[in-house]
Amino acid sequence: MRVTHLRRQALLAALAAFVSIPLAAFSQQPSTAPADIVIKDATVMTASHGTIPHGSVWVHDGKIAGVGTSVNAPASATVIDAAGKYVTPGIVDPHSHSALGDDVNEATSPVTPALMMVDAFDNSDKALYQALAGGVTTELLLHGSANMIGGQAVVIKNKFGLSRDAMLFPNAPRSIKFASGENPKRVYGGRNESPSTRMGNFAVMRQAFEDAKAYTASWDLYNAKVKRGDKDAVAPKRDLKLDALADVLAGKMYVQIHCYRADEFLTEEALAKEYGYKIRAFHHALEMYKVGDKIAPTGTAIATFADWWGYKDEAWDAIPWNAVMSMREGVRVALKSDSNDYIRRLNQEAGKMIHYGGATEEEALQMITINPAWIIGVDDRIGSIDTGKDADLVIWDKDPLSTYARAEKVYIDGDLFFDSAQPGFGTTHFSGPMHEAGFGGADDDGDAQ
Amino acid sequence: MKRILTAFVTVAVSYCALCAQAPRPTSHVVGKPGDLTMNVNGDAAGPVAITGGKLLTVTHGVIENGVIVLSGGKIAAVGGPGTAIPKGAQIVDAKGMTVYPGLVDAETNLGLIEIEADLSSNDLVETSDEIMPQMQVAEAFHAETVRIPVARLNGVTNAIVAPASEDSVAGRDAFIQLYGHDRDQMILGRDVALAMNFSGEQRRQARRGNPPKYPSTRMGLATQLRQAFLDAQNYEQTMAHDTEKQNADKKAPPKRDLKLEALLPYLKGEKPVVLGAHEGYEVEVAMELAQEFHLKVILSHVEHSQDVLDKISSYHVPVIVGPIYTAPAPNERYDAVYSLPAQLQKRGVKIAIASYDTQNVRNLPYAAGYAVAYGLPYDEALKAITLNPAEMFGWGDKLGSLDVGKMANVVIANGDPLDVKTDVKQVYIQGIAVSMESRQTKLRDAYMKK
Repeated sequence: MRVTHLRRQALLAALAAFVSIPLAAFSQQPSTAPADIVIKDATVMTASHGTIPHGSVWVHDGKIAGVGTSVNAPASATVIDAAGKYVTPGIVDPHSHSALGDDVNEATSPVTPALMMVDAFDNSDKALYQALAGGVTTELLLHGSANMIGGQAVVIKNKFGLSRDAMLFPNAPRSIKFASGENPKRVYGGRNESPSTRMGNFAVMRQAFEDAKAYTASWDLYNAKVKRGDKDAVAPKRDLKLDALADVLAGKMYVQIHCYRADEFLTEEALAKEYGYKIRAFHHALEMYKVGDKIAPTGTAIATFADWWGYKDEAWDAIPWNAVMSMREGVRVALKSDSNDYIRRLNQEAGKMIHYGGATEEEALQMITINPAWIIGVDDRIGSIDTGKDADLVIWDKDPLSTYARAEKVYIDGDLFFDSAQPGFGTTHFSGPMHEAGFGGADDDGDAQ
Repeated sequence: MKRILTAFVTVAVSYCALCAQAPRPTSHVVGKPGDLTMNVNGDAAGPVAITGGKLLTVTHGVIENGVIVLSGGKIAAVGGPGTAIPKGAQIVDAKGMTVYPGLVDAETNLGLIEIEADLSSNDLVETSDEIMPQMQVAEAFHAETVRIPVARLNGVTNAIVAPASEDSVAGRDAFIQLYGHDRDQMILGRDVALAMNFSGEQRRQARRGNPPKYPSTRMGLATQLRQAFLDAQNYEQTMAHDTEKQNADKKAPPKRDLKLEALLPYLKGEKPVVLGAHEGYEVEVAMELAQEFHLKVILSHVEHSQDVLDKISSYHVPVIVGPIYTAPAPNERYDAVYSLPAQLQKRGVKIAIASYDTQNVRNLPYAAGYAVAYGLPYDEALKAITLNPAEMFGWGDKLGSLDVGKMANVVIANGDPLDVKTDVKQVYIQGIAVSMESRQTKLRDAYMKK
């Protein structure tokens, strides 16, 4: 029973002795991934152009170089025989609060757009590892829902074990979190502050946008004076909050709105139209099935739960058919976790969509890959198995849309970050305190490998 | 939109025979408590023969192309294609379908809360004291909860309803079926087990500006529990003595103490105690206490007890595991909790899997399926949500398998009951094809047809 444990300790000791790298938790260099990898003979679920039985995926320098029944990889490529297994794109979670500790909500003012979630990002959070083991390769880490206008999100690639900087999704578009409904009402109303009603919610937002417009106008005036050569022009004072709001109104950020009720989707869209910004996605959106036909033409997507319901008033009309019904109305639909628990098995949440409303397998898979990638604004780089995209791939032992699948290997940019066959915890780049604790749980018997 | 409508119409046509016998809503009460041999209209549930399906019997394997006959609320016959079908029985064609016993959730809070954020609907636990054996779940159980039809649609027919875990002794569990006209038809057993907890949550530590009060530590919790059990034993002796004396003196009987009295059946081992603990050391401390007072234990939770699994098996008590979705501790493998059902079962422990929930009761079969992904044999997973929990609470002879003489709680689904992709088509409870509507399906249909 202790053999595996001892073996692991020995391995780590050997590693420390011979490679002479300290067993420090972070900032290891990524292991050099082989330039060419071919995952062979798998059921390849592309999420963009159907499923390829006995298909292959060729990875070259961290990108997908080919996919099909055969690929033109060089003979030197490392071949991974995946017969009987399934390959999907890495799972993308468009709504996570992992790795933000207890810093999710700056619930001291209903308008806090200057805040950057990256400033709270703790890359050592074990929730990241647990999500990685569930096949999640990209996450949008959002501010909480206490504020009508919250902070700016950070997009990460789940390269658990690497440094903070190495985990940031390079050049990802900026997103900002808005909220509506019960949460801001409860937080500020509970202190006898505004907003305490939905009327108050929207009034707070409108005032913030008016402030931003005036700020933008003052800068426009100043810039015009400078352009005219006015040497006496005085620059307005920089205000981080108004800078951020001005960027929202200028369309420089994707607006991600926590919103449950059908009437609120309509109000939010009207407000967006009034101030000239676009809403990228409604998050939660449990009542979208009621007004999907009205929202579809706006192009706003939803990031919803598969079957959560009834935990508060605005979730009382939630139904598990919401995702598929909204999709059939033409709304782009993603599933998301909003939870360190569900993020570990979003593939099963997608599988439920076959049960609740009859999504096809590809539609279900798209809800946790390409569609959330679109919400984040990185669908040109991840979210499907297509040539030229980042090699973020998961090898599953069984049908990933069933209850029974386990992620066996998880690749990000062609590099292996999780391997269930590795001794210990299955991570490839992490050798920190978790490993040193030396307690392997189920792996002690070796039968969970 | 059109595609989905077509899909639903197809289903509706295929199952019109099943839909036709869903009971009509009515307001008059019939039947004895817990007796649904007549449906809510007062009609006797006629014999039904479900034919052609794959029967997962739980006790005697899988029968392909099987026949199961439901009559008088009970299972009247189970067998292969040659099984005799009584004259006049309604034939339900289940070709291509899987037929299995109604699922039993070993711990839920069904009927004790409606909307989590709405405090006025909350009857989860009485926290004014830590020792509350006089609390009866049956007296708070809200039979009309919207949660029940939703759970039923995924094949859950029976459940234990327990109070939440913030008390050391939180009250007495009820055993329910998820169908019936009123509380009396739905509660099959009023006081089937004592809900006991030793997980640290019961400590009255300083909170929201209030100072701590006893017991604010695990030492305090254990001491308080031991004292309560001693008090109850002492109470029984004193009561017996005083009653005898006062009878002799022709005086009024001594005053009852309902709290201590409520502990007695459990101290005598007449009924089980569901003992919730999470960490290994909590399990050990709580079991020492339970053994000292000869309690009949069902262990519960044990998610972070990997270090004492062999010891747990040596107790020879059944275990309700999970929820298996509990996150592992930071030093545990990602699959440490997912694998627990397999690890315990392998050691010969009888296990049940529970949702411990209200909104996610319908996901009970998926938890069992996920345990299969992490090493639990399939048959044992199905048992863990059918026969095993029924047996733990004394209902094993009436429920939990497709066997002649048992309650006709039967589910027809279009595939593997433990898979997320599977759709349940019809649920029978005591032989009645229950309505496959819920508040959620009504909302779906209302907005689908617009």
